[in-house]
Amino acid sequence: MPTVLEKKKTVRINGCVASAQAAKYADVDVIAAYPIRPYTATMMALAQMVANGELDAEYIVADSEHSQLSIAHGAASSGARVFTGSSGVGVQFAYELYSPISGSRMPVQMMIADRTLDPPGDFGSEHTDALSTRDMGWLMGWACDAQEAFDNHLMAYRIGEDPRVLLPQMVCQDGFFVSHITGDVELPDPTQVKEFLPPYKHPYPLDPRHPVSHGPQIMPEQGPPLQLERARAMEGSMAVIEEVHKEFGEIFGRKYDPWVEEFMTDDAEVVFFLQGAHAVTARFAIQHMREKGLKVGMARLRTIRPYPTDRVCEVLSKFKVVGVIETNMALGSPASGGALYADACAALYEAKERPLVISFMAGMGGEAIVLKEFYWMAEKMMQALKRGKIEKRTHWVGFEE
Amino acid sequence: MSTKGTKIPDWLTVPFAGITPAPSQDKGQNLFPTGNWRAIRPVYRDKLPPCNNACGTNEKIQGYLDLVKRGKYLDAYALIKEDMPFPSVTGRVCYHPCEQACNRGKYDEAISIRAVERFLGDLGQALTNDVVKPGKPNGKKVAVVGSGPAGHSAAYQLARLGYKVTILEKSPKAGGLNRGGIPDWVLPQNVLDREIERLVQLGIEIKTNCEVGKDVSWDDLKKNYDACVLAVGLTEPNSIRAEGENKADVLYGLPFLRDIGMGTSKVKIGARVAVIGGGNTAIDCAREALRQGALEVTMITVESHPEEMPCVAEDLHDMLEEGVELIHGRAVTSILGNGKVESLQLHPARFSGAVNASPINIDRTAKPESFVVDNVIIAVGQHASLAWLPQEFKNERGTVKMDRFGRLGDTNFFAAGDIAQFGSGQPLMVVNAVGDGKRVAFNLDKALRGEALQPRTIAIDVIMDLNRMNMTYFPHFPRVHQALLNPITRKKTQDEVIQGFSEEQAIEEANRCFSCGTCNACDNCYLVCPEPCIARPARSNGLYKILVDYCKGCRVCIEECPTGCLEGVPELDFDTGVVRMDTAFAITPGLHGRQAQELVNLSTRPAKDI
Amino acid sequence: MATIEVQRQILPILANPNQGARFYNPELPQSEPFVPGHRTCAGCGPSIQYRMTSKASGDNTILVGPTGCMYVANSSYLCTPYNVPWAHTQIGSAGSFTAGVAAAYEALIRKGKWKGQYPNIICEAGDGSASDIGLASISGALYRNHDCLIICYDNEQYANTGIQASSRTPYGGMTTFSPPGPEVPEGKKLFPKDLARMMAAGHPHCYVATASVGYPIDLMNKVRKGLNHKGAAYLMVYTPCQKGFVYETPRSIDLGRMVVECGLYPMWEWTPEKRAFDYSFRPASIRPVSEYLKLQGRFGHLHAEHIANLQKFANEQWRMVGVELPEALIKAADPKNQINMAAAAEAEVVAETV
Repeated sequence: MPTVLEKKKTVRINGCVASAQAAKYADVDVIAAYPIRPYTATMMALAQMVANGELDAEYIVADSEHSQLSIAHGAASSGARVFTGSSGVGVQFAYELYSPISGSRMPVQMMIADRTLDPPGDFGSEHTDALSTRDMGWLMGWACDAQEAFDNHLMAYRIGEDPRVLLPQMVCQDGFFVSHITGDVELPDPTQVKEFLPPYKHPYPLDPRHPVSHGPQIMPEQGPPLQLERARAMEGSMAVIEEVHKEFGEIFGRKYDPWVEEFMTDDAEVVFFLQGAHAVTARFAIQHMREKGLKVGMARLRTIRPYPTDRVCEVLSKFKVVGVIETNMALGSPASGGALYADACAALYEAKERPLVISFMAGMGGEAIVLKEFYWMAEKMMQALKRGKIEKRTHWVGFEE
Repeated sequence: MSTKGTKIPDWLTVPFAGITPAPSQDKGQNLFPTGNWRAIRPVYRDKLPPCNNACGTNEKIQGYLDLVKRGKYLDAYALIKEDMPFPSVTGRVCYHPCEQACNRGKYDEAISIRAVERFLGDLGQALTNDVVKPGKPNGKKVAVVGSGPAGHSAAYQLARLGYKVTILEKSPKAGGLNRGGIPDWVLPQNVLDREIERLVQLGIEIKTNCEVGKDVSWDDLKKNYDACVLAVGLTEPNSIRAEGENKADVLYGLPFLRDIGMGTSKVKIGARVAVIGGGNTAIDCAREALRQGALEVTMITVESHPEEMPCVAEDLHDMLEEGVELIHGRAVTSILGNGKVESLQLHPARFSGAVNASPINIDRTAKPESFVVDNVIIAVGQHASLAWLPQEFKNERGTVKMDRFGRLGDTNFFAAGDIAQFGSGQPLMVVNAVGDGKRVAFNLDKALRGEALQPRTIAIDVIMDLNRMNMTYFPHFPRVHQALLNPITRKKTQDEVIQGFSEEQAIEEANRCFSCGTCNACDNCYLVCPEPCIARPARSNGLYKILVDYCKGCRVCIEECPTGCLEGVPELDFDTGVVRMDTAFAITPGLHGRQAQELVNLSTRPAKDI
Repeated sequence: MATIEVQRQILPILANPNQGARFYNPELPQSEPFVPGHRTCAGCGPSIQYRMTSKASGDNTILVGPTGCMYVANSSYLCTPYNVPWAHTQIGSAGSFTAGVAAAYEALIRKGKWKGQYPNIICEAGDGSASDIGLASISGALYRNHDCLIICYDNEQYANTGIQASSRTPYGGMTTFSPPGPEVPEGKKLFPKDLARMMAAGHPHCYVATASVGYPIDLMNKVRKGLNHKGAAYLMVYTPCQKGFVYETPRSIDLGRMVVECGLYPMWEWTPEKRAFDYSFRPASIRPVSEYLKLQGRFGHLHAEHIANLQKFANEQWRMVGVELPEALIKAADPKNQINMAAAAEAEVVAETV
């Protein structure tokens, strides 16, 4: 760890600007922007940095998110480190590109500040936008505050560009709750970043000196080996993710559990299982409830792709009741509610002692999940604990007694 | 870990993320030899351009025009010299059957081939040393009797083959018809002298004032030489069988020109001259008469129209420009005068078309016309003087008795030129005599080496027709004309009437050549091939190669070949180079595994030069 | 920030082989960025265009291939005929992927991460990609003026999907999405989108031109002009499709000339410096549209009135480029003077009056 860190400083910025700062520290070469709230602020900040000469990058205002992603694809294919991002329906407009980008193994990085999908135009945060793309071969995880967002960006570049991985990354944060709320963010010394993040080098870029063809058509029988390779890369990234988080902690001094953050779980009987910004409120709610003697805790999922199945199983099976806070919508899904429930249940299936699992539809449409609602959810979990069985799989928080 | 324990079998190994290394430039990508889609294969097969075919000595005209286009004049000159010993002469005097045959003539105007030939001939004249070298001496001696076009050509070719050649010429100066039959204002003597010099440089000995039958006998020739070419030409003028033709001052075409050419003429030409005959010699005589001082020259022909006259149209045009008058459809029946020519008696006449009788029908019942003249020049053809020839080699019509190769019996004597071609249907023109001399020389060589002789006519492949070429590629472009001296002044002098091409003119004119049926490396097939499977190691005529492993047989190249040298041949006609595969989509086994390995090694490979 | 200046290539313009009396193509580069062994149909027009384009651009080139024949048929089964870097992108991403490549090279060279002259970046989009689904992405790339060349190889239909109408399919062109029938005798009822003019009008700072495989050197020179132009360039190239147009394969180049001679594909250049169209291109001859139509099966169903409609359309284009119309062409725009395509031999009589 460097001893003299003269340029290290703490600034008060929001999540969007933190992401922009991360892109700057990563010395990205190409930025593809297109406006949509709330992630726009990231691109605004980057535009200003380029205008000020703080960052030497091609800043492209694309004509759509579809173009944003294909610009990023083209630039990454040519050997450039790229940064792009979107929110809400913008994420979905670019949907076509997600599989081609991961299939061609281009470590494009995309920042997502969540936004509810239409209808109608709702600015609030809901994870459905990014989660709908979760099986496209992108590394994906949520930050719960600006500092974590900054750190996640740097780590995601390092993981995605690792020659053992070479996969694109979605670095997600909740719209508004992270993207637009300021907090203290420690910006590192550039030498730290240099030590942590080597320059991007794709092994087979579009280079006229070493010509290759990217993405030729294949025979049906060539599909399986290519898919298997992509699956191997996704699974193989787990070891790299752990390695990188460890190294990050050593260099920057902030240690993250790569998979699941546990809060007050040592003796907990019931836990909230969630991801993203609502964890901040959850921590306060838990502290209040603990004061009243309730054995409540929280397990926050930090990385959802690749899904840490074994770890989730190990953590959640310690408890009696697990309350999954969705903040996303998966209509007609197994719990007829959100998407996180199914993943959690699948992870727990092999457990010796399976907890009861309840899905809570909370924080929908970007509404804040207030303390009162956490208490209500804890109450529902406690009832199930007492009864030994759940009342129903999914509760719509705020709409039930 | 779902992927734990998975293994991709060798046959399914694919490169990383399907990223495929680039194929090699020379071989193409080796996955799909698409050649088995093809039913018709494009093949480069040069056809005979019509000019080459029409030329009396089959000069490779398209070939040298193509070289001139590229500024390779010496190569072009060397190419002409394969068939033609004196391009500077034929470049002036030839009746250019090539231009009549030229495909461009059917499109806009024929190429001025003769002018380009003259340009090259003059270039050759200026060289200190000629490009042609004598062959390796084979120790054999050949006599060539006569130094006219046929003799010159035969001697030249024989010297190139390594023979020791001696030319026997009865006149004081070598050249034969080239000297004696062609006026100075068409062919200046110094041009011919230079060509004769070239013969001497080839080691040919020229004995002038040496007439066969007088200075040397048949037996001398037989004894002293291994073989002999008889090219004595037609020296005796034909008579018009008119009354009073025996007057002393009646002139005959060839002797008239010959005496002027040799500088031995004593003729004084009067003011009014009539020339009898409508051929090229007659035209030369008429124009020469003007230069000898005549004021009014009239040409009297049996032909009823200028277009029927057996002459070169341009020469007729130039003659008329110089003021010569034409009287058609008349025959001279009587030459009147008291001891000397004073007037002619004319009767209407026409050609009868008869073969065995007199070819001319004269209407003697019509009222005769009188035509007052000071001189009359008769130029109605000539015949050979063969008194020296042993009787066994003469046939009943007084011509040479020979086989179809020009060989006299089983001797090593060959007849060449006009004496051989007379009556054969071949035009009796310089270039035809040159061609005959060439062919006889080659056959003589074959005879001495005991090989089978070749017939007079060359084996004709396909003569390229305009309809089989793609005219899209040839914009209309006017012919480059040679400059002429002013007709008013030129008719008083011996100055050369037709001027030569400048370098720019020669190139411009050569550029008009279509290269009919012959690959001229235009690169069009190479450029339009959709595969592209037409390879070109170097840009050079006829060196394109079709990669038959890939050609799908679309025939775009054939359609777009400007010159028509590409043709489609059904694939079933070939038993080599055919792609055999189980299906159209068969892949080389293990290819993707190799690609995967190649991709891994990519960074260690030398970078492509960009 | 210390930056490195980007060095750009300037390719020489080739001499016109027909400038003089003879036909002789100029000396072409030896390198072959496009090699055989691909699975395009015999006589494929787009493939001919690819060959010429890549020949003109040379080895320091990167090609982008949105989905279309030149992706599906050329790179089938994990093979590649491209001897320069080539990348597939989605059919709607033609302009944007290309922009990404261009931006990457600007940044990488400027930041010293890649050394060498800025490569020729060429996007080869079919007309489906260029005129329909990828129109916005191409417009974006042109508007932003990335130093690249976007080519629309215009075979007037979606070909590799099995011949469907695109917005470039001509009036009367039969495709599987515009079949003729008793109610719709002409097949396609709409006239095509004037794509290239749209690009010129909307992006006046770009070099824009139309070209045809029938005029190879002109095409190659336009490619080079587009590449030499600092900024974005757009080229729309007529590339006949043997499968969709239904003609005899050897006629590929011939059709490329014929379509221009019939006025259905005006050739022009937009000069950004002068902000003006250059309409000076003149084909060797002017023909009635029926001569072009009768070579193709896709027009075989047309009635006299439809041919006249197409002639009217062609006449308007001739007027646009400033050609005084021969009397015969004006007459040919009247259905009374036209005959059905079925009587192609008689149509020829009309043709010869021009």
